[in-house]
Amino acid sequence: MKSEKSQREKTFSPGALTRLEEIKKKYPDKRAALMPALYIAQDEFGWLRPEALKAVAQYLELPEMTVRSTATFYSIYKHEQAGRNMVRLCTNVSCMVLGASTLKGTLKTLYGLAPGGTSPDGRFQLEIGECIGACDRGPAMLVNDDLHTELDTKKLIQVLESYK
Amino acid sequence: MINISINGKKIGLEGPATVLEAARRHGIDIPTLCNHPALELWGGCRMCVVEIEKMPRLQTSCTVMAADGMTVYTETPRVVAARKSVLEFLLINHPLQCPTCDKAGVCKLQDLTVKYGAVAGRFEEGKRTFPESVDDPLIVRNMERCIMCTRCVRMCDNVQGAFAIGVVNKGTRSHVEPFSGGRYNCEYCGNCLNVCPVGAIMSRLHRYTYRPWQMDKTVKTICSFCGVGCTQLLEVRSGAIQKVSPVFGEGVNKGLLCGRGIFGYGYVGSPERLKTPLIRKNGVLEPAEWDEALALAERKMLEIKNLHGGRAIAGVAGGRCTNEENYVFQKLLRAGFGSNNIDSVARLGLMHAQNLLEDIFGQGAAANLISGIPRSDAVITVACDPTQTNPVMGLQVRAAARAGKKVLTVGHAHGLRRHRTHSLPAHIGTEGMALAGLLSELLKIKKLPGENPEFEAAIKNFELPRLEEVETYTGVSAAMLSGAASALKDVSSSSIIAGRELAAHRDARRNLMLLAAIGYILNSRFFLISEHPNEQGLIDMGCAPDTLPGARPIALQTFRERYEEAWGVKLDPEPGLSLMEMFEQAGDTVRAMYIMGENPAFNLPGRKMVKSALGKLDFLVVQDIFMSETAAMADVVFPSLAWSEKEGTYTNLEKRIQKLEKAIEKNPEKKVFLMEDWQILMEIGKRAGLNMPYTASSDIIDELARLSPLHAGLGYGDLAETGMMWPYKGKPLRMGGRIPALPVSRAEAPSKEQALAPVLVLDKPLFHSGTLSRHAGPLLDIMAEAEAKLSPETGSVLEVTDGAMISISTAEGEMALKVKFEKGLPVGAIFAGNNFGEAGALGLFGYELEPESKTPILRFANLEIKLETGKL
Repeated sequence: MKSEKSQREKTFSPGALTRLEEIKKKYPDKRAALMPALYIAQDEFGWLRPEALKAVAQYLELPEMTVRSTATFYSIYKHEQAGRNMVRLCTNVSCMVLGASTLKGTLKTLYGLAPGGTSPDGRFQLEIGECIGACDRGPAMLVNDDLHTELDTKKLIQVLESYK
Repeated sequence: MINISINGKKIGLEGPATVLEAARRHGIDIPTLCNHPALELWGGCRMCVVEIEKMPRLQTSCTVMAADGMTVYTETPRVVAARKSVLEFLLINHPLQCPTCDKAGVCKLQDLTVKYGAVAGRFEEGKRTFPESVDDPLIVRNMERCIMCTRCVRMCDNVQGAFAIGVVNKGTRSHVEPFSGGRYNCEYCGNCLNVCPVGAIMSRLHRYTYRPWQMDKTVKTICSFCGVGCTQLLEVRSGAIQKVSPVFGEGVNKGLLCGRGIFGYGYVGSPERLKTPLIRKNGVLEPAEWDEALALAERKMLEIKNLHGGRAIAGVAGGRCTNEENYVFQKLLRAGFGSNNIDSVARLGLMHAQNLLEDIFGQGAAANLISGIPRSDAVITVACDPTQTNPVMGLQVRAAARAGKKVLTVGHAHGLRRHRTHSLPAHIGTEGMALAGLLSELLKIKKLPGENPEFEAAIKNFELPRLEEVETYTGVSAAMLSGAASALKDVSSSSIIAGRELAAHRDARRNLMLLAAIGYILNSRFFLISEHPNEQGLIDMGCAPDTLPGARPIALQTFRERYEEAWGVKLDPEPGLSLMEMFEQAGDTVRAMYIMGENPAFNLPGRKMVKSALGKLDFLVVQDIFMSETAAMADVVFPSLAWSEKEGTYTNLEKRIQKLEKAIEKNPEKKVFLMEDWQILMEIGKRAGLNMPYTASSDIIDELARLSPLHAGLGYGDLAETGMMWPYKGKPLRMGGRIPALPVSRAEAPSKEQALAPVLVLDKPLFHSGTLSRHAGPLLDIMAEAEAKLSPETGSVLEVTDGAMISISTAEGEMALKVKFEKGLPVGAIFAGNNFGEAGALGLFGYELEPESKTPILRFANLEIKLETGKL
């Protein structure tokens, strides 16, 4: 018989499964574990795309539609393709004066990142943020929850390269 | 007694009821949108608000229970103002498309707007917009019209148990859709569109074709697909069925239908229907006059009778034909042609299963009300998936699960995977062995009830296998068995649903004895899966080689004489040939066959043998509505009428006789002249000199009621709304208690290779039914081609992918099928249905006969599965 390896659907990584097991222990009712499980799926799949919802449904043995109804009710979840890493670049007065707009250009030319957009490889998403309280060390940006200050083009690239 | 007052009217209530129910029962109408009698209380739309004294705010009457001393007003100015504002809010977004909406005329929102008066909208922003979804072949969703009553979602989740649709997003963006957002991946029960109060979810089958008030007539009749016998409403215009819908609260289905029932009617209007009799001339079937064809059929049959004797003629009765037609059929065969070689599809398992149960518990052992299923403490399904074969019965099992009852599935039951509480996933064909394990566990923890000492003695003498043996053979572990048994420990009543494969089995008697023993211990009602609408009727009408109408043995002289006297002929006391034997002996002792509404060349195992048998006959007469594989081989073909075109009765699996109503007059101006099956048989019978003075099917019921002790005194008029339950009106023979001391056989455990070898399983898909549904367009839209369903695990074992074309071959034949992955199917099993011409899976199965009943047991040998090259 000819072998035709079936394409494996993406499922949870071992790390995510460990987190899911923890959650399951906390909530004896599977439906109650749904919202925390959706956060994990979001981390794992980038956003709540149909595969992510299906994986949650399968893991919690809930109907797929129930998972989708619940997920779409909440706007706190990512319902659209988003970059894996959220870059929030400050362009308020201090940072602007210290060269934030140059950095903005760098992001565009090197990473294809326009404000509000996502890089073509899905690695970064850019939002032009308001002041993040680092005016003394500008230009500053947040990548996910990490603060990076005193940026120039070289440091920007260095920092971003540490996020995959 | 709860005494309340509504609008000054004093009302006394016997039991608990909501204010809404109390009002409606006493003729006071309160408008509702989200409330539906089939669904649980909701209170979402606020249309039903009423004023209740001493309660400061308006109350939703659909959720407030009536309490003693309550004083309710349903149409005060305050209430009317509230309802008007509810309507105003709904009309902010509901588009005013009534002139083009199919629902206009039967739309609740429209009616209420007319009643309470339209208001000038004060909302200046635009209406919400959604593109109409026509991604699905059968169901169209227009979410701009949706009023968010969630009736459809509640129906899907809580009644149908399919969880296929849900509310997506929130606030003004909320709407209802399936997971995919487009095409449905569901059971196509159609119940969502039946409960939609507006035009948001609608059927595409009859879209834009008519207005509800333009119907010529609506006719209540019985569905023709399976043995549940659901009541359905046919809406007819210009001689064609426009729409099929259930009637809420009525019939055994109480307002639910399945995909076949609601979308499967299309075959009736198929252009491929036979329109004239056909006679084979020079090897070709050619249209002929009725007279010529009838005379030829009669002359040739009698010639063969005179030449070779009556036993050279055999007949197959029809599971889709009415009781009356089957009665006349066996009368023609027995009295006209002198043959007891009469059999039917009931031979494929139902008859044997029923006979074995009746041996122990007496006639009517499986005559129980489907509505009792959710009321019993536990439901056990054995070797069947009622949600596929008898979908509306399957819903009762799901209802039981929802009510917190125990649901145990023995063997494969995919449709109950979300609803069962316990499962004994025995390998296919080993369900009986799993029952043996369950019984031995039950005997450890439960006392025998002491009602039937003889049967209890037999149960004690069963040689039950050790649990390890059960595990090796069935794959069901001791822990599963003891878990299931302890769950059933405190059950005081239960329902058991069994598939025909239990009786189409080498150990049929063992299987049914075990089933009976478990049922006896658990105080069970039995239900037997019945795949044809009148399979039970076939048994009752004596369409069997050894019984006469009334299902009593022809060998009994007193009983036989009764019929001999009435029919004016001597009957052969010897039982005739069973279904498969007729074909095995064709060309030899059997020279001619008469087949009514059946397609043995396609619907029986051993297809090669059956086809060659039909070819060996001297003479073959077929009555059918389509040119089936069997009809194509006939010498004379008579066109007959479909279920919606005739009167008569079906007997469902509860043994309830129900009346069909004629919805379509097939011969309005005698343009085409078609006869009902019994009329064709009668014309031949009369020519053969039989006394068949029937002018309507009610005359046949009258004759039956005079002769069959089972139907004694039954009149056509008795079969009003709810039909007539067993024992009809007559007296059943209580001939139970025949309990042979039967050692329960220990089947040998299969070798490891055998246990892992792929097995071929005859699938009974929800969306198709034998060969009729091939002609029903909408069902083809849901499932257009034959599929080989298997689990992804099986797929990786066989190294095939979802959607691949594979060729399956056995000793019997070979066919190409498209692989469809379905999670949760048993590993190693390949499910293929017998529904499509080129790829009817029965063509892969041979059979062996169960020695006692001659029930064919499906067998396959030399199974090979290959990837079809070039078709990927």
